[in-house]
Amino acid sequence: MSHIIQAKNLNKNYGHKHALSNVEFSIEKGAPVALVGPNGAGKTTLFSILCGYIKPSSGEVLIMGHPPGDKALFGKLAALPQDAQLDPRFSIAHQLKFYGQLQGFSAKKSQHEVERTLDLVGLLDVLNVKPSELSHGMRKRVTIAQTLIGSPEIVLLDEASAGLDPLHAREVREVVASLSSDITFILSSHDLNELERLCSQVLYLEQGCLKEHQTLTTPSSDKCRYFTLRMKQQEEGIIEALQQLESVSHVILTQDREFLIKAVAGHEDAGTDIDVLQLCHKNNWQYAQIFNGKTLENQLF
Amino acid sequence: MQFLNNYKRIWILARFELIRLFLTKRGIIALAAFATVWFIILYYLVSSAVAIVSSDVFQDIAKQLFGVLGLTDLLKWPVPELAIYWLIAAYLFPSFALFSASDQTCSDRTRGTLRFISLRATRTEIILGRFLGQVLITAILIAVTILATVLMATYRDLTLFDDGVLQASKLFVDLSIIVLPFIAMMTLLNSFLRSSKMAIVVCTLIFGLGPFVIGLLAYKLPIASQLNYIFPGMQITELLGQTEMALTNYSLPIIQSVLFLIIANIIMKRTSL
Repeated sequence: MSHIIQAKNLNKNYGHKHALSNVEFSIEKGAPVALVGPNGAGKTTLFSILCGYIKPSSGEVLIMGHPPGDKALFGKLAALPQDAQLDPRFSIAHQLKFYGQLQGFSAKKSQHEVERTLDLVGLLDVLNVKPSELSHGMRKRVTIAQTLIGSPEIVLLDEASAGLDPLHAREVREVVASLSSDITFILSSHDLNELERLCSQVLYLEQGCLKEHQTLTTPSSDKCRYFTLRMKQQEEGIIEALQQLESVSHVILTQDREFLIKAVAGHEDAGTDIDVLQLCHKNNWQYAQIFNGKTLENQLF
Repeated sequence: MQFLNNYKRIWILARFELIRLFLTKRGIIALAAFATVWFIILYYLVSSAVAIVSSDVFQDIAKQLFGVLGLTDLLKWPVPELAIYWLIAAYLFPSFALFSASDQTCSDRTRGTLRFISLRATRTEIILGRFLGQVLITAILIAVTILATVLMATYRDLTLFDDGVLQASKLFVDLSIIVLPFIAMMTLLNSFLRSSKMAIVVCTLIFGLGPFVIGLLAYKLPIASQLNYIFPGMQITELLGQTEMALTNYSLPIIQSVLFLIIANIIMKRTSL
Protein backbone atom coordinates (compact mmCIF):
# COMPACT_ATOMS: atom_id res chain seq x y z
CA MET A 1 0.00 0.00 0.00
CA SER A 2 1.14 3.53 -0.72
CA HIS A 3 1.99 5.92 2.09
CA ILE A 4 0.06 9.12 1.75
CA ILE A 5 1.69 10.70 4.78
CA GLN A 6 5.20 10.08 6.01
CA ALA A 7 6.77 11.82 8.99
CA LYS A 8 10.40 11.38 9.96
CA ASN A 9 12.06 12.59 13.17
CA LEU A 10 9.52 15.33 13.59
CA ASN A 11 10.32 17.84 16.31
CA LYS A 12 8.59 21.01 17.30
CA ASN A 13 9.85 23.20 20.10
CA TYR A 14 8.21 26.23 21.63
CA GLY A 15 11.10 27.77 23.53
CA HIS A 16 12.23 25.06 25.93
CA LYS A 17 9.01 23.10 25.60
CA HIS A 18 9.06 20.11 23.28
CA ALA A 19 5.65 19.96 21.70
CA LEU A 20 6.75 17.06 19.50
CA SER A 21 9.79 14.85 19.99
CA ASN A 22 11.10 12.61 17.24
CA VAL A 23 7.68 11.70 15.99
CA GLU A 24 7.86 9.20 13.19
CA PHE A 25 4.97 7.50 11.43
CA SER A 26 3.45 6.71 8.11
CA ILE A 27 -0.18 6.60 7.11
CA GLU A 28 -1.54 4.54 4.26
CA LYS A 29 -4.45 5.44 2.07
CA GLY A 30 -7.59 3.83 3.35
CA ALA A 31 -9.55 3.60 6.56
CA PRO A 32 -9.69 6.54 8.98
CA VAL A 33 -6.79 7.10 11.33
CA ALA A 34 -7.23 8.18 14.94
CA LEU A 35 -4.94 10.69 16.57
CA VAL A 36 -5.30 10.21 20.29
CA GLY A 37 -3.68 11.68 23.35
CA PRO A 38 -4.31 13.72 26.47
CA ASN A 39 -4.59 17.51 26.39
CA GLY A 40 -1.26 19.11 25.54
CA ALA A 41 0.08 15.90 24.01
CA GLY A 42 0.85 17.62 20.72
CA LYS A 43 -2.12 16.53 18.60
CA THR A 44 -3.01 20.01 17.40
CA THR A 45 0.67 20.80 16.81
CA LEU A 46 0.95 17.69 14.64
CA PHE A 47 -2.24 18.65 12.78
CA SER A 48 -0.92 22.16 12.25
CA ILE A 49 2.35 20.81 10.82
CA LEU A 50 0.48 18.45 8.49
CA CYS A 51 -1.64 21.36 7.25
CA GLY A 52 1.40 23.60 6.81
CA TYR A 53 0.20 26.14 9.38
CA ILE A 54 3.41 25.80 11.34
CA LYS A 55 6.83 24.54 10.42
CA PRO A 56 8.54 21.77 12.38
CA SER A 57 11.73 22.70 14.24
CA SER A 58 13.36 19.72 12.55
CA GLY A 59 12.39 16.60 10.69
CA GLU A 60 10.47 16.02 7.53
CA VAL A 61 6.87 15.46 6.54
CA LEU A 62 5.71 14.44 3.10
CA ILE A 63 2.07 14.36 2.14
CA MET A 64 1.51 12.51 -1.10
CA GLY A 65 5.15 13.27 -1.83
CA HIS A 66 4.85 17.00 -1.20
CA PRO A 67 5.78 19.14 1.78
CA PRO A 68 2.81 20.48 3.80
CA GLY A 69 1.33 23.69 2.40
CA ASP A 70 2.56 22.92 -1.13
CA LYS A 71 0.22 24.12 -3.85
CA ALA A 72 0.13 20.58 -5.24
CA LEU A 73 -1.97 19.71 -2.18
CA PHE A 74 -4.63 22.36 -2.80
CA GLY A 75 -7.94 20.58 -3.11
CA LYS A 76 -6.35 17.27 -2.11
CA LEU A 77 -5.81 17.94 1.58
CA ALA A 78 -8.57 19.58 3.58
CA ALA A 79 -8.79 20.27 7.27
CA LEU A 80 -10.99 21.35 10.10
CA PRO A 81 -8.53 23.11 12.38
CA GLN A 82 -9.50 23.38 16.02
CA ASP A 83 -11.35 26.63 16.83
CA ALA A 84 -11.04 28.06 13.31
CA GLN A 85 -14.06 30.18 12.41
CA LEU A 86 -15.56 31.43 9.20
CA ASP A 87 -15.85 35.17 8.56
CA PRO A 88 -18.97 36.39 10.41
CA ARG A 89 -19.68 39.08 7.78
CA PHE A 90 -20.43 36.75 4.88
CA SER A 91 -23.08 34.14 4.35
CA ILE A 92 -22.13 30.48 4.56
CA ALA A 93 -22.78 29.96 0.85
CA HIS A 94 -20.69 32.96 -0.10
CA GLN A 95 -17.65 31.79 1.85
CA LEU A 96 -17.83 28.17 0.85
CA LYS A 97 -18.29 29.22 -2.77
CA PHE A 98 -15.20 31.39 -2.42
CA TYR A 99 -13.26 28.35 -1.17
CA GLY A 100 -14.59 26.30 -4.09
CA GLN A 101 -13.45 28.92 -6.56
CA LEU A 102 -10.01 29.03 -4.95
CA GLN A 103 -9.89 25.28 -5.51
CA GLY A 104 -10.41 25.93 -9.20
CA PHE A 105 -14.14 25.41 -9.63
CA SER A 106 -16.30 27.74 -11.69
CA ALA A 107 -18.88 29.86 -9.87
CA LYS A 108 -21.64 27.46 -10.90
CA LYS A 109 -19.75 24.32 -9.93
CA SER A 110 -18.73 25.94 -6.62
CA GLN A 111 -22.38 26.68 -5.85
CA HIS A 112 -23.18 23.05 -6.57
CA GLU A 113 -20.35 21.89 -4.29
CA VAL A 114 -21.58 24.18 -1.51
CA GLU A 115 -25.06 22.70 -1.71
CA ARG A 116 -23.72 19.13 -1.90
CA THR A 117 -21.41 19.47 1.09
CA LEU A 118 -23.92 21.33 3.24
CA ASP A 119 -26.45 18.63 2.45
CA LEU A 120 -23.94 16.02 3.62
CA VAL A 121 -23.81 17.62 7.07
CA GLY A 122 -27.55 18.26 7.12
CA LEU A 123 -27.38 22.03 6.81
CA LEU A 124 -28.68 22.80 3.36
CA ASP A 125 -31.17 25.25 4.86
CA VAL A 126 -28.47 27.61 6.19
CA LEU A 127 -27.04 28.49 2.79
CA ASN A 128 -27.71 32.20 3.09
CA VAL A 129 -27.26 32.51 6.82
CA LYS A 130 -24.25 34.18 8.40
CA PRO A 131 -22.07 32.11 10.77
CA SER A 132 -22.90 34.38 13.71
CA GLU A 133 -26.55 33.34 13.43
CA LEU A 134 -25.71 29.64 13.87
CA SER A 135 -25.23 27.62 17.02
CA HIS A 136 -21.77 26.32 17.93
CA GLY A 137 -22.64 22.84 16.70
CA MET A 138 -24.01 24.12 13.40
CA ARG A 139 -20.92 26.26 12.82
CA LYS A 140 -18.81 23.16 13.44
CA ARG A 141 -20.78 21.18 10.88
CA VAL A 142 -20.44 23.99 8.33
CA THR A 143 -16.67 23.97 8.81
CA ILE A 144 -16.74 20.19 8.33
CA ALA A 145 -18.66 20.82 5.09
CA GLN A 146 -15.87 23.07 3.81
CA THR A 147 -13.43 20.18 4.13
CA LEU A 148 -15.52 18.11 1.72
CA ILE A 149 -15.59 20.65 -1.13
CA GLY A 150 -14.26 19.02 -4.29
CA SER A 151 -12.72 15.61 -3.95
CA PRO A 152 -10.10 15.75 -1.21
CA GLU A 153 -7.95 12.68 -0.68
CA ILE A 154 -7.00 13.48 2.91
CA VAL A 155 -9.22 15.22 5.44
CA LEU A 156 -7.94 16.14 8.88
CA LEU A 157 -10.61 16.72 11.48
CA ASP A 158 -9.40 18.14 14.77
CA GLU A 159 -12.02 17.53 17.45
CA ALA A 160 -14.75 17.41 14.83
CA SER A 161 -17.48 16.19 17.14
CA ALA A 162 -16.54 18.27 20.18
CA GLY A 163 -19.48 20.45 21.12
CA LEU A 164 -21.93 18.53 18.94
CA ASP A 165 -25.04 16.95 20.39
CA PRO A 166 -25.15 13.13 20.18
CA LEU A 167 -27.44 13.17 17.15
CA HIS A 168 -25.21 15.43 15.11
CA ALA A 169 -22.04 13.77 16.34
CA ARG A 170 -23.53 10.59 14.96
CA GLU A 171 -24.31 12.34 11.68
CA VAL A 172 -20.69 13.44 11.40
CA ARG A 173 -19.55 9.87 12.12
CA GLU A 174 -21.87 8.62 9.41
CA VAL A 175 -20.48 11.14 6.92
CA VAL A 176 -16.94 10.04 7.76
CA ALA A 177 -17.85 6.36 7.51
CA SER A 178 -19.70 6.82 4.22
CA LEU A 179 -16.85 8.74 2.58
CA SER A 180 -13.96 6.76 4.01
CA SER A 181 -13.68 4.57 0.93
CA ASP A 182 -12.64 7.65 -1.11
CA ILE A 183 -11.07 9.87 1.53
CA THR A 184 -8.47 9.08 4.17
CA PHE A 185 -9.70 10.80 7.31
CA ILE A 186 -7.39 11.62 10.18
CA LEU A 187 -9.43 12.26 13.27
CA SER A 188 -8.42 13.73 16.56
CA SER A 189 -10.89 13.27 19.36
CA HIS A 190 -11.18 12.51 23.05
CA ASP A 191 -14.14 10.28 22.34
CA LEU A 192 -12.47 6.89 22.13
CA ASN A 193 -15.73 5.11 21.40
CA GLU A 194 -16.16 7.28 18.34
CA LEU A 195 -12.62 6.59 17.14
CA GLU A 196 -13.04 2.91 17.84
CA ARG A 197 -16.07 2.78 15.57
CA LEU A 198 -14.42 4.60 12.72
CA CYS A 199 -10.68 4.07 12.73
CA SER A 200 -8.44 1.18 11.90
CA GLN A 201 -5.16 2.86 12.80
CA VAL A 202 -4.22 4.77 15.93
CA LEU A 203 -1.50 7.32 16.57
CA TYR A 204 -1.20 7.80 20.31
CA LEU A 205 0.70 10.89 21.39
CA GLU A 206 1.78 11.61 24.94
CA GLN A 207 3.89 14.60 25.94
CA GLY A 208 4.91 15.11 22.35
CA CYS A 209 6.09 11.55 21.84
CA LEU A 210 4.42 8.96 19.68
CA LYS A 211 3.76 6.13 22.17
CA GLU A 212 1.73 3.86 19.97
CA HIS A 213 1.45 3.53 16.25
CA GLN A 214 -0.74 0.56 15.74
CA THR A 215 -3.38 -0.93 13.60
CA LEU A 216 -6.52 -1.91 15.43
CA THR A 217 -6.41 -5.65 14.83
CA THR A 218 -9.36 -7.81 14.07
CA PRO A 219 -10.13 -10.34 16.82
CA SER A 220 -9.27 -13.34 14.65
CA SER A 221 -5.67 -12.20 14.25
CA ASP A 222 -5.07 -11.80 18.01
CA LYS A 223 -2.69 -14.25 19.54
CA CYS A 224 -4.62 -13.98 22.81
CA ARG A 225 -8.31 -13.44 22.57
CA TYR A 226 -10.02 -10.89 24.80
CA PHE A 227 -13.56 -9.85 25.56
CA THR A 228 -14.72 -6.76 27.34
CA LEU A 229 -17.84 -7.19 29.43
CA ARG A 230 -19.82 -4.22 30.72
CA MET A 231 -22.47 -4.89 33.34
CA LYS A 232 -25.53 -2.78 33.99
CA GLN A 233 -24.93 -2.97 37.72
CA GLN A 234 -22.33 -4.23 40.13
CA GLU A 235 -22.70 -7.97 40.69
CA GLU A 236 -21.11 -9.62 43.67
CA GLY A 237 -18.71 -12.46 42.97
CA ILE A 238 -18.72 -11.94 39.22
CA ILE A 239 -14.92 -11.99 38.86
CA GLU A 240 -14.65 -15.29 40.72
CA ALA A 241 -17.51 -16.77 38.71
CA LEU A 242 -15.94 -15.69 35.40
CA GLN A 243 -12.54 -17.08 36.39
CA GLN A 244 -14.12 -20.45 37.13
CA LEU A 245 -15.20 -20.78 33.50
CA GLU A 246 -13.02 -23.34 31.70
CA SER A 247 -12.54 -21.14 28.65
CA VAL A 248 -11.45 -18.11 30.69
CA SER A 249 -7.82 -17.63 31.59
CA HIS A 250 -7.90 -14.34 33.45
CA VAL A 251 -10.29 -11.53 34.43
CA ILE A 252 -9.40 -7.92 35.26
CA LEU A 253 -11.69 -5.20 36.52
CA THR A 254 -10.72 -2.35 34.15
CA GLN A 255 -13.14 0.21 35.53
CA ASP A 256 -16.46 0.36 37.31
CA ARG A 257 -18.62 -2.58 36.07
CA GLU A 258 -16.24 -3.29 33.19
CA PHE A 259 -14.20 -6.48 32.96
CA LEU A 260 -11.47 -7.53 30.59
CA ILE A 261 -11.71 -11.27 30.04
CA LYS A 262 -8.75 -13.18 28.59
CA ALA A 263 -9.63 -16.44 26.88
CA VAL A 264 -7.59 -19.56 27.55
CA ALA A 265 -4.53 -19.60 25.29
CA GLY A 266 -4.82 -21.95 22.36
CA HIS A 267 -8.57 -22.19 22.73
CA GLU A 268 -9.59 -19.44 20.33
CA ASP A 269 -12.76 -21.29 19.44
CA ALA A 270 -13.55 -22.19 23.01
CA GLY A 271 -16.71 -20.14 22.93
CA THR A 272 -15.68 -17.93 25.82
CA ASP A 273 -18.23 -15.28 24.87
CA ILE A 274 -21.02 -17.89 24.85
CA ASP A 275 -19.86 -19.14 28.27
CA VAL A 276 -19.86 -15.59 29.62
CA LEU A 277 -23.36 -14.90 28.33
CA GLN A 278 -24.67 -18.19 29.70
CA LEU A 279 -23.13 -17.35 33.08
CA CYS A 280 -24.92 -14.00 33.08
CA HIS A 281 -28.18 -15.65 32.11
CA LYS A 282 -27.83 -18.36 34.76
CA ASN A 283 -27.20 -15.84 37.53
CA ASN A 284 -29.75 -13.40 36.18
CA TRP A 285 -27.03 -10.73 35.78
CA GLN A 286 -27.89 -7.87 33.44
CA TYR A 287 -25.02 -7.10 31.08
CA ALA A 288 -24.87 -3.84 29.14
CA GLN A 289 -22.43 -4.86 26.43
CA ILE A 290 -19.98 -7.53 25.47
CA PHE A 291 -17.18 -6.32 23.22
CA ASN A 292 -15.14 -8.67 21.10
CA GLY A 293 -11.56 -7.70 22.00
CA LYS A 294 -10.00 -4.92 24.03
CA THR A 295 -11.60 -1.52 23.82
CA LEU A 296 -9.38 1.22 22.41
CA GLU A 297 -9.31 2.76 25.86
CA ASN A 298 -7.99 -0.49 27.35
CA GLN A 299 -5.46 -0.86 24.58
CA LEU A 300 -4.05 2.61 25.11
CA PHE A 301 -4.24 3.11 28.83
CA MET B 1 -0.70 26.70 -16.69
CA GLN B 2 0.42 26.76 -13.07
CA PHE B 3 1.12 30.50 -13.15
CA LEU B 4 -2.35 31.05 -14.61
CA ASN B 5 -3.80 29.34 -11.55
CA ASN B 6 -1.69 31.63 -9.37
CA TYR B 7 -3.08 34.73 -11.08
CA LYS B 8 -6.59 33.33 -10.90
CA ARG B 9 -6.34 32.72 -7.16
CA ILE B 10 -4.85 36.20 -6.62
CA TRP B 11 -7.77 37.69 -8.54
CA ILE B 12 -10.33 35.64 -6.59
CA LEU B 13 -8.78 36.83 -3.32
CA ALA B 14 -8.73 40.45 -4.53
CA ARG B 15 -12.33 40.24 -5.73
CA PHE B 16 -13.39 38.99 -2.31
CA GLU B 17 -11.94 42.19 -0.80
CA LEU B 18 -14.02 44.28 -3.19
CA ILE B 19 -17.13 42.40 -2.15
CA ARG B 20 -16.18 42.92 1.50
CA LEU B 21 -16.35 46.69 1.00
CA PHE B 22 -19.11 47.09 -1.54
CA LEU B 23 -21.53 44.33 -0.59
CA THR B 24 -21.39 43.92 3.18
CA LYS B 25 -23.33 45.99 5.69
CA ARG B 26 -20.15 47.12 7.43
CA GLY B 27 -18.53 48.01 4.13
CA ILE B 28 -21.53 50.01 2.97
CA ILE B 29 -21.60 51.96 6.25
CA ALA B 30 -17.87 52.72 5.76
CA LEU B 31 -18.62 53.85 2.21
CA ALA B 32 -21.46 56.07 3.44
CA ALA B 33 -19.07 57.69 5.93
CA PHE B 34 -16.49 58.13 3.17
CA ALA B 35 -19.07 59.69 0.84
CA THR B 36 -20.22 62.07 3.58
CA VAL B 37 -16.67 63.24 4.30
CA TRP B 38 -16.03 63.83 0.60
CA PHE B 39 -19.34 65.62 0.14
CA ILE B 40 -18.31 68.02 2.91
CA ILE B 41 -14.84 68.43 1.36
CA LEU B 42 -16.15 69.07 -2.15
CA TYR B 43 -19.18 71.15 -1.26
CA TYR B 44 -17.69 73.34 1.42
CA LEU B 45 -13.92 73.20 1.07
CA VAL B 46 -13.24 72.80 -2.65
CA SER B 47 -16.04 74.97 -3.98
CA SER B 48 -15.33 77.73 -1.42
CA ALA B 49 -11.60 77.59 -2.11
CA VAL B 50 -12.22 77.79 -5.87
CA ALA B 51 -14.31 80.90 -5.35
CA ILE B 52 -11.48 82.48 -3.36
CA VAL B 53 -8.69 81.46 -5.74
CA SER B 54 -10.64 82.57 -8.81
CA SER B 55 -11.84 85.90 -7.45
CA ASP B 56 -9.99 89.05 -8.51
CA VAL B 57 -9.90 90.28 -4.93
CA PHE B 58 -8.06 87.28 -3.56
CA GLN B 59 -6.03 86.27 -6.62
CA ASP B 60 -2.89 88.13 -5.53
CA ILE B 61 -3.07 86.70 -2.03
CA ALA B 62 -3.56 83.20 -3.51
CA LYS B 63 -0.57 83.69 -5.81
CA GLN B 64 1.60 84.76 -2.88
CA LEU B 65 0.42 81.89 -0.73
CA PHE B 66 0.82 79.25 -3.44
CA GLY B 67 4.17 80.80 -4.38
CA VAL B 68 5.48 80.40 -0.85
CA LEU B 69 4.37 76.77 -0.88
CA GLY B 70 5.87 76.16 -4.34
CA LEU B 71 2.46 75.52 -5.80
CA THR B 72 2.22 78.41 -8.28
CA ASP B 73 1.72 76.03 -11.21
CA LEU B 74 -1.48 74.77 -9.68
CA LEU B 75 -3.05 78.19 -10.19
CA LYS B 76 -2.53 77.78 -13.92
CA TRP B 77 -4.68 74.66 -14.07
CA PRO B 78 -7.77 75.25 -16.20
CA VAL B 79 -9.95 73.51 -13.60
CA PRO B 80 -9.21 75.08 -10.19
CA GLU B 81 -11.50 72.55 -8.48
CA LEU B 82 -9.04 69.82 -9.41
CA ALA B 83 -6.12 71.87 -8.06
CA ILE B 84 -7.78 72.16 -4.67
CA TYR B 85 -8.91 68.54 -4.85
CA TRP B 86 -5.32 67.48 -5.57
CA LEU B 87 -3.97 69.39 -2.55
CA ILE B 88 -6.46 67.69 -0.26
CA ALA B 89 -6.45 64.22 -1.84
CA ALA B 90 -2.66 63.92 -1.94
CA TYR B 91 -2.67 63.83 1.86
CA LEU B 92 -6.11 62.48 2.61
CA PHE B 93 -6.03 59.36 0.44
CA PRO B 94 -2.78 57.99 1.91
CA SER B 95 -4.31 58.34 5.39
CA PHE B 96 -7.54 56.78 4.18
CA ALA B 97 -5.60 53.95 2.52
CA LEU B 98 -3.81 53.22 5.80
CA PHE B 99 -7.10 52.89 7.64
CA SER B 100 -9.02 51.00 4.99
CA ALA B 101 -6.12 48.56 4.41
CA SER B 102 -5.40 48.06 8.11
CA ASP B 103 -7.16 44.71 8.22
CA GLN B 104 -5.87 42.71 5.30
CA THR B 105 -5.06 39.49 7.16
CA CYS B 106 -5.12 40.39 10.89
CA SER B 107 -8.64 39.37 11.83
CA ASP B 108 -8.62 36.39 9.48
CA ARG B 109 -5.48 35.17 11.23
CA THR B 110 -6.92 35.72 14.72
CA ARG B 111 -10.20 34.04 13.79
CA GLY B 112 -8.51 31.13 12.05
CA THR B 113 -10.16 31.87 8.68
CA LEU B 114 -6.71 32.17 7.16
CA ARG B 115 -6.24 28.47 7.92
CA PHE B 116 -9.10 27.58 5.60
CA ILE B 117 -7.74 29.87 2.89
CA SER B 118 -4.13 28.73 3.21
CA LEU B 119 -5.15 25.19 2.24
CA ARG B 120 -6.34 26.62 -1.07
CA ALA B 121 -3.91 29.44 -1.84
CA THR B 122 -0.23 30.04 -1.16
CA ARG B 123 0.74 32.65 1.39
CA THR B 124 2.26 34.75 -1.40
CA GLU B 125 -1.04 34.64 -3.26
CA ILE B 126 -2.88 35.66 -0.10
CA ILE B 127 -0.53 38.62 0.42
CA LEU B 128 -0.78 39.74 -3.21
CA GLY B 129 -4.51 39.10 -3.46
CA ARG B 130 -5.31 41.14 -0.39
CA PHE B 131 -2.92 43.92 -1.46
CA LEU B 132 -4.41 44.05 -4.93
CA GLY B 133 -7.91 44.11 -3.45
CA GLN B 134 -7.07 47.13 -1.31
CA VAL B 135 -5.38 48.88 -4.24
CA LEU B 136 -8.48 48.36 -6.36
CA ILE B 137 -10.77 49.61 -3.60
CA THR B 138 -8.71 52.77 -3.12
CA ALA B 139 -8.40 53.29 -6.88
CA ILE B 140 -12.17 53.02 -7.31
CA LEU B 141 -12.73 55.53 -4.52
CA ILE B 142 -10.12 57.90 -6.00
CA ALA B 143 -11.84 57.62 -9.39
CA VAL B 144 -15.25 58.35 -7.88
CA THR B 145 -14.06 61.44 -5.99
CA ILE B 146 -12.16 62.78 -9.01
CA LEU B 147 -15.21 62.26 -11.18
CA ALA B 148 -17.36 64.08 -8.62
CA THR B 149 -14.90 66.98 -8.67
CA VAL B 150 -14.94 67.13 -12.48
CA LEU B 151 -18.74 67.07 -12.48
CA MET B 152 -18.80 69.82 -9.90
CA ALA B 153 -16.51 71.96 -12.06
CA THR B 154 -18.56 71.19 -15.17
CA TYR B 155 -21.71 72.20 -13.33
CA ARG B 156 -20.08 75.59 -12.71
CA ASP B 157 -18.73 75.92 -16.25
CA LEU B 158 -19.64 73.42 -18.98
CA THR B 159 -16.53 74.20 -21.02
CA LEU B 160 -14.29 72.76 -18.31
CA PHE B 161 -15.33 69.16 -18.94
CA ASP B 162 -12.71 68.20 -21.54
CA ASP B 163 -9.81 69.81 -19.69
CA GLY B 164 -11.17 68.37 -16.45
CA VAL B 165 -11.22 64.78 -17.74
CA LEU B 166 -7.68 65.11 -19.08
CA GLN B 167 -6.34 66.57 -15.85
CA ALA B 168 -8.35 64.07 -13.78
CA SER B 169 -6.81 61.11 -15.62
CA LYS B 170 -3.33 62.28 -14.70
CA LEU B 171 -4.33 62.92 -11.10
CA PHE B 172 -5.89 59.47 -10.91
CA VAL B 173 -2.58 57.87 -11.90
CA ASP B 174 -0.61 60.11 -9.51
CA LEU B 175 -2.90 59.42 -6.56
CA SER B 176 -3.06 55.69 -7.27
CA ILE B 177 0.73 55.52 -7.23
CA ILE B 178 0.98 57.66 -4.10
CA VAL B 179 -1.22 55.28 -2.08
CA LEU B 180 0.60 52.09 -3.16
CA PRO B 181 3.36 52.11 -0.50
CA PHE B 182 0.88 53.03 2.23
CA ILE B 183 -1.22 49.97 1.42
CA ALA B 184 1.91 47.82 1.06
CA MET B 185 3.14 49.04 4.43
CA MET B 186 -0.13 47.85 5.96
CA THR B 187 0.30 44.53 4.14
CA LEU B 188 3.66 44.25 5.83
CA LEU B 189 2.29 45.10 9.29
CA ASN B 190 -0.57 42.67 8.74
CA SER B 191 1.87 39.86 8.05
CA PHE B 192 2.77 39.63 11.72
CA LEU B 193 0.29 41.69 13.76
CA ARG B 194 -2.93 40.12 14.96
CA SER B 195 -5.23 43.14 15.04
CA SER B 196 -5.97 46.05 12.74
CA LYS B 197 -6.00 48.43 15.70
CA MET B 198 -2.47 47.38 16.56
CA ALA B 199 -1.49 47.86 12.90
CA ILE B 200 -2.76 51.45 13.04
CA VAL B 201 -0.99 52.08 16.37
CA VAL B 202 2.30 50.71 15.02
CA CYS B 203 1.85 52.74 11.86
CA THR B 204 1.28 55.90 13.90
CA LEU B 205 4.45 55.19 15.86
CA ILE B 206 6.42 54.61 12.68
CA PHE B 207 5.30 57.89 11.14
CA GLY B 208 5.46 59.78 14.42
CA LEU B 209 8.72 58.56 15.89
CA GLY B 210 10.47 57.27 12.76
CA PRO B 211 11.72 60.64 11.44
CA PHE B 212 12.79 61.64 14.93
CA VAL B 213 14.83 58.44 15.38
CA ILE B 214 16.35 58.81 11.91
CA GLY B 215 17.15 62.44 12.72
CA LEU B 216 19.05 61.34 15.81
CA LEU B 217 20.89 58.66 13.84
CA ALA B 218 21.73 61.12 11.07
CA TYR B 219 23.19 63.48 13.66
CA LYS B 220 25.83 60.83 14.44
CA LEU B 221 25.94 59.22 11.03
CA PRO B 222 24.85 61.57 8.19
CA ILE B 223 24.22 58.72 5.73
CA ALA B 224 21.44 57.49 8.01
CA SER B 225 19.30 60.34 6.66
CA GLN B 226 18.81 58.15 3.57
CA LEU B 227 16.59 55.98 5.74
CA ASN B 228 13.91 58.63 5.25
CA TYR B 229 13.34 57.04 1.86
CA ILE B 230 11.69 54.06 3.50
CA PHE B 231 8.77 56.26 4.56
CA PRO B 232 5.83 56.17 2.18
CA GLY B 233 4.87 59.61 0.95
CA MET B 234 8.41 61.00 0.93
CA GLN B 235 7.82 62.33 -2.58
CA ILE B 236 4.40 63.89 -1.99
CA THR B 237 5.74 67.37 -1.17
CA GLU B 238 7.77 67.44 -4.39
CA LEU B 239 4.94 65.98 -6.40
CA LEU B 240 2.42 68.43 -5.00
CA GLY B 241 3.59 71.41 -7.08
CA GLN B 242 3.24 69.35 -10.29
CA THR B 243 6.07 71.44 -11.72
CA GLU B 244 8.05 68.69 -13.35
CA MET B 245 7.79 65.00 -13.98
CA ALA B 246 10.58 63.67 -11.78
CA LEU B 247 11.06 59.95 -12.23
CA THR B 248 11.61 59.47 -8.49
CA ASN B 249 8.10 60.73 -7.85
CA TYR B 250 6.83 57.55 -9.45
CA SER B 251 9.70 55.11 -8.99
CA LEU B 252 10.14 55.72 -5.26
CA PRO B 253 6.61 54.68 -4.22
CA ILE B 254 6.74 51.68 -6.54
CA ILE B 255 10.14 50.58 -5.19
CA GLN B 256 8.90 51.09 -1.62
CA SER B 257 5.78 49.02 -2.34
CA VAL B 258 7.74 46.17 -3.90
CA LEU B 259 10.14 46.19 -0.96
CA PHE B 260 7.34 46.12 1.62
CA LEU B 261 5.60 43.30 -0.22
CA ILE B 262 8.77 41.23 -0.43
CA ILE B 263 9.38 41.62 3.32
CA ALA B 264 5.69 40.90 4.04
CA ASN B 265 5.93 37.74 1.97
CA ILE B 266 9.05 36.55 3.79
CA ILE B 267 7.45 37.17 7.19
CA MET B 268 4.14 35.65 6.15
CA LYS B 269 5.87 32.47 5.00
CA ARG B 270 7.62 32.14 8.34
CA THR B 271 4.67 33.04 10.53
CA SER B 272 2.49 30.40 12.16
CA LEU B 273 -1.17 30.56 11.19
